[in-house]
Parts: sequence; structure tokens; C-alpha cells
Amino acid sequence: MNLAGLINDHDADAIALVDGDEVLTYGDLRRRIGAMQGDLGEHGIGEDSIVALATGNDLAFVLATLAVLGLGGVVMPLNPSSPTLELVRKLDVAHPDLLLIGHAGRAHLDSETITTERLDLIELSNRSATATDVPDRIVVDRNDGDAAFYLATSGVSGDAKVAVLTHRNLGWIHEALAEMDTPATSADVALGVLPFTHIFGLNVVLLGMLRIGGKLVLQERFDAVESLRLVQEHGVTMLTGAPPMWQRWLASDMPDDVLASVRFAASGAAALPVAVFEAVRERFGVEIAQGYGLTETSPIVTLGRGFPVRPTSVGRVLPGVEVALVDESGSPVDMGDEGEIVVRSPGVFAGYLDDAAATESVLSEDGWLWTGDVGIFDEDGYLYLVDRIKDIVIVSGFNVYPAEVENVLMAHPGVQGAIVTGTVDALTGEAVVAHVTGTATEAELHEHVARHLSRYKQPSVYHFLDELPIASNGKAIRRALR
Amino acid sequence: MGRLGERPGSFRFEPAPELPGSDRLSKYIFGGIRHLASRGWHFEVEGREHIPSDGPAILTPNHLSFCDSIFVPAALPRRVWAIGKGEYMDSWKTKHLFPAMGMIPVDRSGGDAAMAALDAAANVLDAGRLFMIYPEGTRSRSGNLHKGRTGAARLSLRCNAPIVPVGHEGTLEVQPPDSVKMKLGRDVVVRFGRPMWAHEFGDVDDPRTLRRFTDAVMFEIAQLSGQTYVDTCAGSGDDASGSAPAGSDDQAKVTPSRPSVVGSAPSARPSVQETVPTGGDPTPIRPPTNRPTVPARRPERNGASPEVPALRLPPGRRERVVHGAVRSGAD
Repeated sequence: MNLAGLINDHDADAIALVDGDEVLTYGDLRRRIGAMQGDLGEHGIGEDSIVALATGNDLAFVLATLAVLGLGGVVMPLNPSSPTLELVRKLDVAHPDLLLIGHAGRAHLDSETITTERLDLIELSNRSATATDVPDRIVVDRNDGDAAFYLATSGVSGDAKVAVLTHRNLGWIHEALAEMDTPATSADVALGVLPFTHIFGLNVVLLGMLRIGGKLVLQERFDAVESLRLVQEHGVTMLTGAPPMWQRWLASDMPDDVLASVRFAASGAAALPVAVFEAVRERFGVEIAQGYGLTETSPIVTLGRGFPVRPTSVGRVLPGVEVALVDESGSPVDMGDEGEIVVRSPGVFAGYLDDAAATESVLSEDGWLWTGDVGIFDEDGYLYLVDRIKDIVIVSGFNVYPAEVENVLMAHPGVQGAIVTGTVDALTGEAVVAHVTGTATEAELHEHVARHLSRYKQPSVYHFLDELPIASNGKAIRRALR
Repeated sequence: MGRLGERPGSFRFEPAPELPGSDRLSKYIFGGIRHLASRGWHFEVEGREHIPSDGPAILTPNHLSFCDSIFVPAALPRRVWAIGKGEYMDSWKTKHLFPAMGMIPVDRSGGDAAMAALDAAANVLDAGRLFMIYPEGTRSRSGNLHKGRTGAARLSLRCNAPIVPVGHEGTLEVQPPDSVKMKLGRDVVVRFGRPMWAHEFGDVDDPRTLRRFTDAVMFEIAQLSGQTYVDTCAGSGDDASGSAPAGSDDQAKVTPSRPSVVGSAPSARPSVQETVPTGGDPTPIRPPTNRPTVPARRPERNGASPEVPALRLPPGRRERVVHGAVRSGAD
């Protein structure tokens, strides 16, 4: 199979993509991909070529991705706004044959530090629109295990790596989603605002929507009012955003019925605060479903679609995915106990690029991926995330999950941000340390946590900081404070 | 009244009404035991004010010796019920005495013995009485306090009853695991802690709350018993030191034990659910070969300053394999 074939059979007149003023039908899409493949072929791109992409959620991204995949190449989407040095580091891992630079990636166009051959993707895209003598679109046959994407990820194991995802990995997720009780259909309209450089935006929002022949409205740069306007204008039915986006949508002064057309709302990338869930339900009348997945699982492991949403859960296991919660020895823990989430499915990736040791450290021979996340199932099969296993602080033998302590600290009105780590303690093995920003005093926090946390979970040391280390994806970095 | 009596093969036993006869018997038995305990041993009780004078409560003691089931009830100002093996009803020596002491026999041979036990326990609590359950599930062989099972927390929620943590010391010296005799003259202390409620630990519909509640109860028990806590189940591999008591699984569980596994794999791929025998030890999922021991920084409690080196990645993880298996197809 070749993923690029996912648009083969759709009605040529059905609308596939809306990017600003440009509206493309599936017929247009196929023709322009063919045109771009001609250009790419002239630059030597073919089977097993690696093509890096530095562009935002735009038409050029879609055209280039499907063109390269169709030719049998591997696509490596890069965050277009990342610093050039970071881009270079990633290019050094994958050694792509070509770097295509689109609108959002233009800052990198003139950089001397990039040695990879570069092409202007905007030019390629424009030429594909006006080309007259268009060659037939190519979709070469690929093996299931052939690489389709190289995706940079901070990964299960913490260090920046490049995950290799095959045609089968990604395609299987589409098959599994189609098996669900309430699958998306060609009548659905999705808003493409989550970055396509991220596995969820790429495989669920972009490729998943094209697979079913639906309509995708692209938004290159997040703007709360503009995205809500797009939802209204195009009657978006599937709206997926990260928690900060949902918070900004809540804060906008658009009318309360602006999401009237939305039948499926989801949040990913980080835990959605229950307060946001409730506020969105109250104001817009939609319940946000959460899911759980990793780049290494293409990404869906659980999702909240097709059954009642439980706001603190990440939903149920996608049919066809096997999930076990295991203890240190690998034995499944009892239902109701927390354990490390291990996953096996056809969506589990092939491995990390050029890093067999890292691959072996997360992927067992019999195909189980050890995620490093701790979770707990309830009796109805809903999964709840607890924390990262390596962040656990062990006080007198008891597990303390920093996320729980952080949530309690954040609930104090005088706390802006909180990161919890552990430190060596002669008496208890480890002790809990809180790093806090805000106006709260130590005495106030002592009193506050005493009301909400068991004694062994209460921080014994407080550090008051001006700001907390935050990664580019918005997540706080505990590692930096240990 | 409960489901117990309706089911073939289980025992007809109604725990709720405190029948005059059995109550009187119980009173005499525990009167005698208390009398003996205070003469035969240096028996002390602390924190009795934490036992509610009426209404339901769940008592959760640590479990070291068979005689825990005598000393803890003897320390209470009220009658207490607990779940015991159905086998005790087969012997003339125990079949009258144990129920009079508050044992609810539960047949463990049936498939849903746990459900029957849970219902029996709920009946006791719903009638406003005290119920005792060992949260470790079985006697600790290592002397450490082991991970708590969530059954008591579930009962607490279901019956709106608080958990009273109980820690005791000295029963192991009175009656070691392999001994049938109780040695006189030893010190025994039973301590009761403050009653605890599930809703203090978060949203009660969230399974993480049950776990947090259970862990908090175990922490209080450790404080009361002075034991070292280890985050493994009693009776597991980490609890192997010391001699194993015969029939160590001496308490019927109140929660069904089934592995936390969701598998609906295509038939070509062996599903975990198929390979996990129900009721037995689930087949372990083999960790990757190169996996770091997790959690890597579990410190030793009784050591000098514990080292915390293990956040580092294992040496293999940093190595760069220039043409690994993954890459070869793409080159």
C-alpha cells in the first residue's frame, strides 16, 4: 500500500481543501500533485528519497507531502518556526536529499548553516496551479513496512529523536477509526489548525480527513477569532485543538452558538483542565473529548469519541489496539491499580532513525511499546493518565506523582505555575520539592497543601522562581529543575 | 437479605441483625479475650477515640499474624465483622466460634467470590456496623507493610463509611507464621488513626482517587505500625523473605482481581487477554531488552544517603548506530 493513494477514489468535484481564498476539489488536488511530482522528479526525487518540509498548515504542505509519498519517498515535516540551529540538528540526523521551504519556513531560506539542498516550495506550489501539460499523478507501490514519515519527537525516552513511521502504521489508524461506531464521513468538515508537523495534526486531522473524502479548512497561524470565524463560515463539524487553543476560544467574544455545527470536539497534546471542559460545555454546548497517543503509536491509543465523555479521562482504547498496564516486571497490574502503559498495535512505529539502542529501550521483541506513562483504567475501560514514570518521587516507599501535587499547588489563587520534583532525603529516601511562580507565600502553601494532600505528598522545600522553564510545546520542563 | 443466601453453594449467613444469642456469645468471647489479653500480654490500645461510637466504619489493620484477628477486635469498643474463608465452616472447632466472633464466611470456590464478599461487607456497613479488612490482602511475610488493595476504598465509597487506619505491633512475636501457639507475656499495641473519607482525595468518580485514598490509608497505617512501606503486593516476589505461612491468602478479596488489560487484537496476533489465564498469574509482558530498570531511582530506605544516579540513560541509549535496521530500507 502507499498512503498517497488515500485520495484516489474520491469524487473529483468534492471539495478537499480550503486555504484562504483557494478552494481545491479532490480532482484539483490530484492534478496539482501530479504537476508537483514532475518538478520533484526533475530534482531527482523518487523512491526512497528523503524530503524535509519546512512549511506551515498550508496547501503547499499537503501537495508536497502527497507528491513525495506518491513518488515513494519519505517526508520529514519540520517545525517551520524552530530556530535554524535546531532545524540543522534534525537535518543532520536524517540527511534528507532536499529541503522544501514554504511560507512559514522562509526565515531559513537564506541560512548559510543549512547545507541540505533547498527549494522554494511556494514557487513549486504556484507552478503546480498554472501548469498546463500535467503528467499523471504517480502512486508507486510500497511495502507495508516502508517508511513514509520521519517525525522529530522528544520521544518516549526524553531525548530528541526521529521516529520512523511506515505507510502501514499511519494507514492502519485510518482503518481503525473507520471501524468506530461514529466514524467521520465525507460530509464532515474539519479545521486544520493543529500543526501538521505533529503526529495528531498530520495523521488524524490532515490525512484522516483526506482518507474519508471530507473537507479540510486550513488555518496556517492560530488566531482564536479567525478560527471561530472559519468554523462558522464553513460549518466545521470536527474541531480539534490543544488546551491553550480551547482557552483562547473561550476567552474570545464570539457568539455562544459559534460552535453550533461542531459534532465532535477534541483536545490533545496535554491534559485539558476540567474547568476548561466545563466552561466550554457551559458556553458553547460541546463536550471536549480527550485522547491519548504518542508519535510512536501514529498516534491514537485511546480516544473519547463514540461514548459519553468523562472529563478527566483520555477515553477508551481504540479497537484493535492492545493496552496493558504493567508493573516493573512486566506483569499486568490489577484493574484499578496504576501501571506503566504498554501498547501493541499495527500503529506502533518501526523504530528511531539510526538509533537501534533507543529503539530497543522502548520496543520489546514481541511488539510492545513501553510508553513511560503511568495510567489507570476504571471499570468501564476509560483510561486516566497519572504521570511520567521517570518523574515519580518516592517518599518513604510511597509513590508521589508530581502532576497531582502540581495540580493542588496550581489551585491556589496565588500560584501562577508550579513544577514538582524530588530530591534526596536521608530520612525518607526522597522528598518532594516545589518550584513555584506567583505571589503565594510558603506559609500559605503549607496550609493549602495540608488541606489537600496526604502528608508524604506535601512538599518539604519550596523554591520561588520568577519563571518556570517551558518547552516550545508549552509543557513545563521538570528535567531542568531536578 | 443479601445475595449470599440466594446462591447455591454459598453459606446461609445473615450478618445484619445482631441476634441476641450470637451477640451474647460474642460479648462473652470478647469479654474473655480482653480479660486474657490484658493478663496474658502487655496489651495496649491507643486512639480508641477515633472509633465512631455508632454508624458504619471500615477498619484496616496491617496483617502480620493470625492472631491479628483476635487482638484488633479485642481492642474495639464495638462488635466488628470480617470476611473469612468458607472452609472454616467445615470444621466443628470453628464453625460456631468464628461466626460468633464476627466472621462472615465466603465461599471462595465460586467464580464471583469477590462479588459475594463485597456484597456481604456492604450489608454489614449498610446496617451501620463496623467492618474489618486487611488492605494488604494477606499476611506480610517480610514484615514490611505492602501495597494496599483498593477494596476498602471501594467499600468506603459504596457505603459512605469512613476508613479508620489501624496499626499494631507485637503480634508476630506472639504468634509467628508457622506457630499454632500464642506466646504469653509479649507486648502488643494496637493503634487507631483518624477516620478518613474518599472525597478528601478528589473526584470520587475518578479511579485515581481510589488509589490515592488507598495509598493515604497505607501511609497512616505505616505511621501507626512503624513498618517500612514497600510498593509491592504482599505475597508477591518481593515479599518472599521469611517463611511462607500455610494458606497465606487467608482473606477473601472484596474486589475482583482482573488484569488491567484491554486487548481486542486481530486473530493473527495473540491477544494478551487470551494468554492471561483468569485467576492465575497473568503472563508478563516482556520488557525491552535494553530497558532501564524502572523506576530507576527507587531509593533504599534503610541505607546511608541513597544514591540517585539512575535518571541517566543507560549507556546503550546514547550510542549512535550508523546504519541500523531501521535505516537500511531507506538508504
